[in-house]
Amino acid sequence: DDAAEESNVSAELIALRKRLVDEWNAWRALSRREGPEERGKSGKARESEEDKEEIE
Amino acid sequence: MASHERSLTQIKFNREGDLLFSCSKDHVINVWYSHNGERLGTYEGNNGTVWTVDVDSESRFMVSGAADNTLRLWDVETGKCLFIWEFPTAVKRVAFKEDDSQVVCITEQRMGFQCAIRVFNINRDGDGTNRAPDLFFFVAIYLLTRPRTESREPLYMFNPIGSKATVCAFTPTPNVIITGHESGKVALFNVKSGDEVNNNERAHSDVVTDLQMSKDGTYCVTSSKDKAARIHDTKNLMVIKTYTTETPLNSASIMPGRPYILLGGGQEAMNVTTTSLRQGKFETRFWHKVLEEEVGRVKGHFGPINTIAVHPAGTCYASGGEDGFIRVHHFDESYFRAKPYGDLEIAD
Repeated sequence: DDAAEESNVSAELIALRKRLVDEWNAWRALSRREGPEERGKSGKARESEEDKEEIE
Repeated sequence: MASHERSLTQIKFNREGDLLFSCSKDHVINVWYSHNGERLGTYEGNNGTVWTVDVDSESRFMVSGAADNTLRLWDVETGKCLFIWEFPTAVKRVAFKEDDSQVVCITEQRMGFQCAIRVFNINRDGDGTNRAPDLFFFVAIYLLTRPRTESREPLYMFNPIGSKATVCAFTPTPNVIITGHESGKVALFNVKSGDEVNNNERAHSDVVTDLQMSKDGTYCVTSSKDKAARIHDTKNLMVIKTYTTETPLNSASIMPGRPYILLGGGQEAMNVTTTSLRQGKFETRFWHKVLEEEVGRVKGHFGPINTIAVHPAGTCYASGGEDGFIRVHHFDESYFRAKPYGDLEIAD
């Protein structure tokens, strides 16, 4: 079924879909690279805040 | 599954996905086993519509916000209400921080009171992690036996400028939350300073009705009465994707592991023909997340869909309707095999 459907889809459309998926994957890779760094920072910030509150 | 006496307002899976929490205009919060729809328990005590609910990552605490102007903290297992915070107006939205240490809530703008966003610390004592037992033994006994105390005062509070906020969630950036507004605006706020760090005034052209985060928090999906849903980068508010339907949307949810966005909504009852009401024609719409094309619909509700939640493992989803029903849809084998639009690998 998939093959039959695919053959009806124009080469142009396939190229468009490929471009959209490539763009999406590139954006995901970028935000993942930036992601863990941010979360590391947030973890540290959180700990120091909690420490302060316990002292109070 | 038959569920509430009145329309659903929000449903939420716990982290494992075995439990589904639901709240409704019938004042009651329910918890269900997601695999068979059996009701595990209820959380009673609210004196008005319960607008919003969220559960922590350990399924230990649940928070709810209601039209009786209260934010409540519940013990998930015993069903006991542990703490009540009271405000001048209704609580429209609550959300836990990813690490369970805080809760953010939105209170309604009404009768001379501005819309307010508050952040509360949630007291998680009893965890006992990294405490030397010999040193803190007596402290621990005290903490376990005394009545539960939460800080009555918020850690942070501010009034968002401009249009009132309708939905919110913590982002991975420390002290920054993302909000959706009545005007259609989507914004980032620093909860410490109350400053609007960034905004997209034209994210939507009508009320933002739902906002759900991706697993890693780097993006979110919003739904709006303007009939569209959008994916936003939670760091810079760039609109990444748009899904344009022909009906006002009440909810949007991200399917993990598969490239779909689930959308729910529908015209208000007065605009609907009696045939569609009789036949349960209100549908959950599946959109391809990346290609922005609709891929399928699941019928079932007898009124607009108010809230959608997806199982964290992507094995099923649930929808809550204006009709008072919750429907849990488990996917079969063919769903997981299906590769719409070919073999392209799509990152989550």
